[in-house]
Amino acid sequence: MLDFFTIFSKGGIVLWCFQGTGVTESFTGPVNALIRSVILQERSGNNSYTHDALSLKYKLDNEFELVFVFYFLKENTILAYSSFIDDVQLHFRDRYKNELEQKGARTLLSSCFAFEDDFKMLLCEAEESSKARGPTSMRSFNASLKSQKTVKSMIETKGGDKGKEQGGKKNKNAKKEGKAKAPASAQKTVENGNQGLTQEEIIQKKREEFIRKRMWYGKSHCLLPSSKSPKPVKEKTKGKEKRVWTLGGNSTKELDYSQCNGNGDHATGVHVLDAQADPGMQLSSMKGDLLAVDYESSEEEEEDVVEKVVVADTSKQIPKRGAYGGMFGMLKGLVGSKSLSQEDMEPVLDKMRDHLIAKNVAAEIASQLCDSVAKKLEGKVMGTFTTVASTVKGALQDSLVQILQPKRRVDILRDVLEARSQRRPFVITFCGVNGVGKSTNLAKISFWLIENGFTVLIAACDTFRAGAVEQLRTHQRRLNSLHPPQDDRGRPVVQLYEKGYGKDAAGIAMEAIAYARNQDFDVVLVDTAGRMQDNTPLMTALAKLIAVNMPDLVLFVGEALVGNEAVDQLVKFNQALADHSISDKPRLIDGIVLTKFDTIDDKVGAAISMTYITGQPIVFVGTGQTYNDLRSLNARAVVGALMKA
Amino acid sequence: MEDNRDVEAGENPFQPYLDALRKELEHQDPIFIIGIIISLAVVVISFVLLKYFLSSKTVQSAVLLVGLCDSGKTLLFSRLLSGKFKKTQTSITDSSAPYKAKNEKGSSWTLIDLPGHDSLRPQYVEKFKSAARAIVFVVDSAIFQKEVRDVAEFLYFLLTDSAVSRNVPYLIVACNKQDITMAKSAKLIQQQLEKEMNTLRVTRSAALGTQDGSAGSSVYLGKKGKDFEFSQLPMKVEFLECSARGSKGENGQADIGSLEKSLANL
Repeated sequence: MLDFFTIFSKGGIVLWCFQGTGVTESFTGPVNALIRSVILQERSGNNSYTHDALSLKYKLDNEFELVFVFYFLKENTILAYSSFIDDVQLHFRDRYKNELEQKGARTLLSSCFAFEDDFKMLLCEAEESSKARGPTSMRSFNASLKSQKTVKSMIETKGGDKGKEQGGKKNKNAKKEGKAKAPASAQKTVENGNQGLTQEEIIQKKREEFIRKRMWYGKSHCLLPSSKSPKPVKEKTKGKEKRVWTLGGNSTKELDYSQCNGNGDHATGVHVLDAQADPGMQLSSMKGDLLAVDYESSEEEEEDVVEKVVVADTSKQIPKRGAYGGMFGMLKGLVGSKSLSQEDMEPVLDKMRDHLIAKNVAAEIASQLCDSVAKKLEGKVMGTFTTVASTVKGALQDSLVQILQPKRRVDILRDVLEARSQRRPFVITFCGVNGVGKSTNLAKISFWLIENGFTVLIAACDTFRAGAVEQLRTHQRRLNSLHPPQDDRGRPVVQLYEKGYGKDAAGIAMEAIAYARNQDFDVVLVDTAGRMQDNTPLMTALAKLIAVNMPDLVLFVGEALVGNEAVDQLVKFNQALADHSISDKPRLIDGIVLTKFDTIDDKVGAAISMTYITGQPIVFVGTGQTYNDLRSLNARAVVGALMKA
Repeated sequence: MEDNRDVEAGENPFQPYLDALRKELEHQDPIFIIGIIISLAVVVISFVLLKYFLSSKTVQSAVLLVGLCDSGKTLLFSRLLSGKFKKTQTSITDSSAPYKAKNEKGSSWTLIDLPGHDSLRPQYVEKFKSAARAIVFVVDSAIFQKEVRDVAEFLYFLLTDSAVSRNVPYLIVACNKQDITMAKSAKLIQQQLEKEMNTLRVTRSAALGTQDGSAGSSVYLGKKGKDFEFSQLPMKVEFLECSARGSKGENGQADIGSLEKSLANL
């Protein structure tokens, strides 16, 4: 039962909404959640989104800047609804074309969209069609192909290959008559043989296309090899038969050239065979001057192509425009009335995808991004003098900038001040895999904090790696010497809380935070051991540390050199944190520290992968190995480097 | 001597051409040459004038509706333009429409509603900031206490923007959602914002530089050494209360009289 349907503009004004009977709750919440998590985070690759018990389906209309959303309870998914939303969209557009075409919000605000009746009619139609189709009934055993196989063919014996073949051959011969109709309709692909059939079909159709294009003059579509097409296919299905060489003749007698004079019969024999083997070639077609390329005939061909495509609905959608259509498309684009279709965007998007992957964006992220951009641009009307490539590039650039923009306020200093006013320390936890630069960047961040007048306590919760505690102690000493203790209590600005090696990290963290609270430290930086994301016991230990201590900020440290691995790391880290949390609102990764940024020149794709996966902002960027090499992210610069050729 | 000969040799290839040109020019009517010069001058002047007119059109003819997500910008937009109540969702793109002010002059300008979502905000502000004649900053008065830091950060970002500090548009802070009982008054919001901006001045200037070395904006708000107050800003700032939904709910009128009056004074 359809619970809810709404149509609203991308500017936010709801044009029309429908609420099913018995639905009292407000719909704004789930739809807003849909917008925020899917559309704004560029995940609009697939059309549905699940929020609690509601399954929301949506569709973007990019030409008139509308969004169609509907939802129903999860249990009642009816297949007809997939085409239902398309019908509604087309109907709405046709009916309100005038209002929608005028740019400017005034018309949207003033006009009243009374879509109720049309909608109810469409809904009834959809429900009826789904009922008429009915649930797909199971085929009876006799109708299936398994019943036609002999039992012998299915028995596997040691020397059984030959036996199986013979059995198979017999049965397939019997089925040949049935399969004579197969070329026309290959709907049910039961065996692999059938699938091969459709592939062959496609190749044959494309060959016909090509040959027909060469024969441009008149409608003399001569010698189409339609008679020949089933033959090679059927030969295949008979099992392994003796191969017939076209030039080899049928018997060895023909290979005996000792009698005939060298060239004569042999040559004609070859010529004759040539003509047969190359169908569709009319002799004397290329006589005289080469014929010119002609536009009108291409249009005729297009009509024929359309007819052929409609009749044989198995073949893939052959691109209806030849090279000539492309030129028209370009002219149309210059004038500014061309609307983007999936085929137009595909070559550009493929190129962009490869470009992104070359720039070290994870492969699946790149393809998801390109799908999302395609969805956003489908049906959009291009402006004057814009090419498809420039529109797609612009849209991709916008979405990349949007992804890199933080979704919440990122201001560590302000939050530390807030925590100080509440008389509690601000706790930051660093986690990540081995060797990404956690301890180094921890030292850099503490340098930044003490430069701004805060006192820092470093908690050495890496109790595993040799020298980890000593490393932090050295950092502490250096930082203290750089900033001598000048606050009123004469305390060092940085202190280290450590309990040696081999102890429980979560316990040390808890004690460190309690110590900081007692001693009025402003910030606690918790350093953890590096761990691989699929090392379950270590991930459990990390999750426990975070769940027990509830830090204010959980930072994932990732290096910019990482490629596709970034996706796996972040997903597994988030998963582990969610699984092992105590409360029902698990603490996940809140921010990302991108390290070793100076080692990559413009292959900055890792930033995109990480922010896309988590949806969290990049808080710090590490650009070197000294204390000063700490920066914040500039989204525009990163996207500029990414889109640069 | 040899040098001279070299120089002459260098000039020689061009000499015949120069002579020919000179002869041609002398043959021509001087009026013809004057005609050419005048036409060139006309073309140049027309270019300059076009540029001037076009740029003056884009500059400062728009009123922007900005604010955090869910502060009521789109509903305010609808009320200002048509007076009707419309259900709204989170905006993904901007909407613009011409608006006729309610004053004797009947001046009209473009009212632009920008999306408030954090990831879209910077792009749209970037796009429209140079065309802004006035900025209406919409604040959700009911949940202001929780959002005060976010509101202040956005306001700080707007005020320190180089284009905004150059054009000095009129800033109206509209404390929306006054129909809710928990709503804070405009005066209280002003005081809280001033306190926040004071702190932000310090933290923002201490923020890290960006990774490509570009410096942030170097505009310092207010006067150094003194607590921040909105009166210290170069632009005119006004705080007022309004309610887009209206006290009578969906069917009633919106309570946006003061906002309309301020807009009329532009």
